[in-house]
Amino acid sequence: MQTTSEVSRADKSAQPDRGIQMIKGPTSTRRTLLKGAAAGGLVAASPLAARFADAQSAAPIKIGFQQHSTGIGAAYGRWYGRTTEAAAALINAEGGINGRPIEIIAEDDGTDPRRGAEVVGKFATQHNCDVAFGTLFSHVVIGSAPAAGELKIPYFVVSEGHHVASGMLNRYTLQPGITDVKSQVQAMAPFVADTLGKKVTMIFPDFAFGHDHRDFFTEAIARQGGEVLEQIAIPPTETSFTKYFPRIPRETEVIYHVMVGPAVLTFVKEMGEFFGPSRPEIFGFIDSLEAVSLDSAGLEFLEGTFFWEGNPRYAQPDQTPYDTAFREAVGVDANGASISDPADVSTYAHMFGCWETLYILKAGMEAAGYQGPADRAALIEAVEAMTTMDEGPAHPQGPKLFNGKTHQVFGRQYISKVEEGKLFRVHSTTIEDTFYPDEVDYTTQSF
Amino acid sequence: MNVVKRALLVNLVVLWAGPSAAHVAEQGFVLLLPTTAYTLAGVAAVALTVLALFVLPASAIRTLFTVRRIPTGTFAQARTLTSLISFALLGFAVWVGLTGPRDPLSNVMPLWVWTLGWVALVSLAGLLGNVWSWVNPWTGLYHVLGLGRAPLRLPKGFGQWPAVILLVVFAAFLLVDPAPSDPARLAMVTGLYWLATMAGLVLFGRPWLQQVELGHALIGALARLAPLRFGPEGGIGGPGWRLRTRVPVAGAGVFALTFLAVGSFDGLNETFWWLALIGVNPLEFPGRTAVMVPTFLGLLTTILGLIAVFWATIRLGQLLAPGAGAPDAFGRLAECLLPIALAYHIAHYLPSFLVSIQYTLVATSDPFATGADLLGLQPFYVTTGFFNRIDSVRLIWLSQAGAVVIGHVWSVLLSHRIALDLAPKPGQAMWLTLPLSVLMIAYTFLGLWLLAAPRGA
Repeated sequence: MQTTSEVSRADKSAQPDRGIQMIKGPTSTRRTLLKGAAAGGLVAASPLAARFADAQSAAPIKIGFQQHSTGIGAAYGRWYGRTTEAAAALINAEGGINGRPIEIIAEDDGTDPRRGAEVVGKFATQHNCDVAFGTLFSHVVIGSAPAAGELKIPYFVVSEGHHVASGMLNRYTLQPGITDVKSQVQAMAPFVADTLGKKVTMIFPDFAFGHDHRDFFTEAIARQGGEVLEQIAIPPTETSFTKYFPRIPRETEVIYHVMVGPAVLTFVKEMGEFFGPSRPEIFGFIDSLEAVSLDSAGLEFLEGTFFWEGNPRYAQPDQTPYDTAFREAVGVDANGASISDPADVSTYAHMFGCWETLYILKAGMEAAGYQGPADRAALIEAVEAMTTMDEGPAHPQGPKLFNGKTHQVFGRQYISKVEEGKLFRVHSTTIEDTFYPDEVDYTTQSF
Repeated sequence: MNVVKRALLVNLVVLWAGPSAAHVAEQGFVLLLPTTAYTLAGVAAVALTVLALFVLPASAIRTLFTVRRIPTGTFAQARTLTSLISFALLGFAVWVGLTGPRDPLSNVMPLWVWTLGWVALVSLAGLLGNVWSWVNPWTGLYHVLGLGRAPLRLPKGFGQWPAVILLVVFAAFLLVDPAPSDPARLAMVTGLYWLATMAGLVLFGRPWLQQVELGHALIGALARLAPLRFGPEGGIGGPGWRLRTRVPVAGAGVFALTFLAVGSFDGLNETFWWLALIGVNPLEFPGRTAVMVPTFLGLLTTILGLIAVFWATIRLGQLLAPGAGAPDAFGRLAECLLPIALAYHIAHYLPSFLVSIQYTLVATSDPFATGADLLGLQPFYVTTGFFNRIDSVRLIWLSQAGAVVIGHVWSVLLSHRIALDLAPKPGQAMWLTLPLSVLMIAYTFLGLWLLAAPRGA
């Protein structure tokens, strides 16, 4: 099996100029790093230091983790944090990166774009981080990416947003560890059309998030010979939905819903009451119920409905050893909940992105012979050179294909069915299902 | 627009925005609960209490707040010791805040200040008494320094007005500032506040603590609600008995109203209702930096609005009961709202406390995030699972609602007891406090509505 780092090395060998460029990092940066490590003191004071004492330099590689510790992203931030810690511990246990330990420096961005930019600035100038990493919420990514570009610090986001591949960001911003929503939504269309029905009614919140689902899916289902009969946009402040359901056309075969917010359980309950025992097929995005147990009160109506999942929350009968190891490392059980509390459900559909991104960083830094901030451009080029990423310990969610031009990774998507309050995978898309034409070529931008 | 904003993956999440929005969106389950029925029941309980005052003899209310005097020592030496320990811990927290982990959920500076200080200590004050006199970080050192007579005096007319201003500034930091939980930022603010207070104490002596220092003013005010008091003036009685024997202090009434208003606005400014009012999509909250001006204006408006409404109810009461209460009815009855403020404080922060106390334990056990386990907690994962079950969410919500209702009933009774002192003629107390009682019934509804309302920030 080919690992990411092998892939990137192989790709790099085809580009000798780039390889040479990678190796000539100035040795003076080592001193800078050592100084930084002494100031940080965290890893140097830890037992890890001894493990890396024989390495050329035990100075840690500093990864600034832009975490949604507070604000509306806090639930995701907690699980992104757990996953990041688990991956970092494992990478360090396996020898670190280029023989050096990694140190995660978490800063809270308050799920606030302006603070996000400040945090990226702190990583670059105050904490002397090598890279910035881990942002989820789109508005924070969009608010922070310009700072990353100006300060020339590689910014590895785990956001799912289409903003990276759309070309609105810059060469320093990459999303190699999680697929984007455009590819996810369009990859659902073949299954929906072939298995559930071709006449779809969409119910979505009436703002950008919902509009993007509306636009991407309407286009994608048309390509499958289906059609969206009705688009029901729900005002974001709405907490009761009964009055909207009569707008669902009678001939509807499939409901596509992407409601979010505190009223989502009410939405499900009222939809169940509206339809009673005879209902059309129902398809949704697990984002609506991420971190919520599917056997919760009010969700009985979801029995027999379908969900997109970025990564199957419940361990499947054909679970890979990589998924098993991933769950064990993060401390998540077979139901996707914390091993310490079965009710504490993780953000399983998304958090693998942090794990995979850290392993891509490792592969990229090793391919670039990364020594310090002077090699940041080489690191970005090394990641841009990546293509295939095989399923494995570094990629427990599944195989992926990275597009160096758009800085966006593409990968398998999963569709699961709710049975007895659990999700069972019924379909895996191909990676090809998720492709769309490139909208940008970041490699043409200068550093 | 070709950008997919995956901004709102969030739904039933933990909204631990540090100290302020320290809330949780077990909201999804709360919206499934019959909160309208619960709210009506709560409001009815308070309304029935008000009605009961019409039939209950005044002696029954007097009995409720009688006190049995039990003089004790002052425990001065013990307090000096605990205050010195507190000073050392604060110094440690400031140091960790400046040099330790950057994540506010891993750093003892914000966790100790907001979770143990602002949430827990303030809540305990109303039940246990003046805990701040034991754990404030100044008086121990001041005592040890033995500086003698203070060289300066605060003007008498100041009363507690400086503390009122400080409370507004504190509320702005809590609710408006973009990052009140940032460890380094909070360490600096706390360190500067400690220095300023120490300087004030040295220059002006202990009156500085009573009139200016926020912790003494706030916890001291709430401590007067506690049933038990230690010291030569100590005793045990109906909670709030100390308000009867208290010498009125200028500004103390407005201080109590400001504390209540701050709590109410803290709840209000997260609701869908408020966010819609200021033109923010509650499902796409743009972050605190984007709403600083409306939040600050909302805070000031709420404070001034509550003071104005309260003043009007007192004036109306005085019209209904001519000759009763003047001139200190405003200040003394305002302090009777403290049980409501305390109850809402407890209710408002209960869910977030259940989460943040876990982070506090973990950070205390490993203050430098080096993997230490000083308290022997590991393996330990912070959980929010109790927000994921409707049974536990119902229990939490009813606990919050129960606290709010008890607080209001307590305030109704307490204000009536104070009114008996303010209104010498029989039957006047009822009329003096009737408008206030109506306000309290309305406030019960507001408090319960805030707990049940969908929130987005």
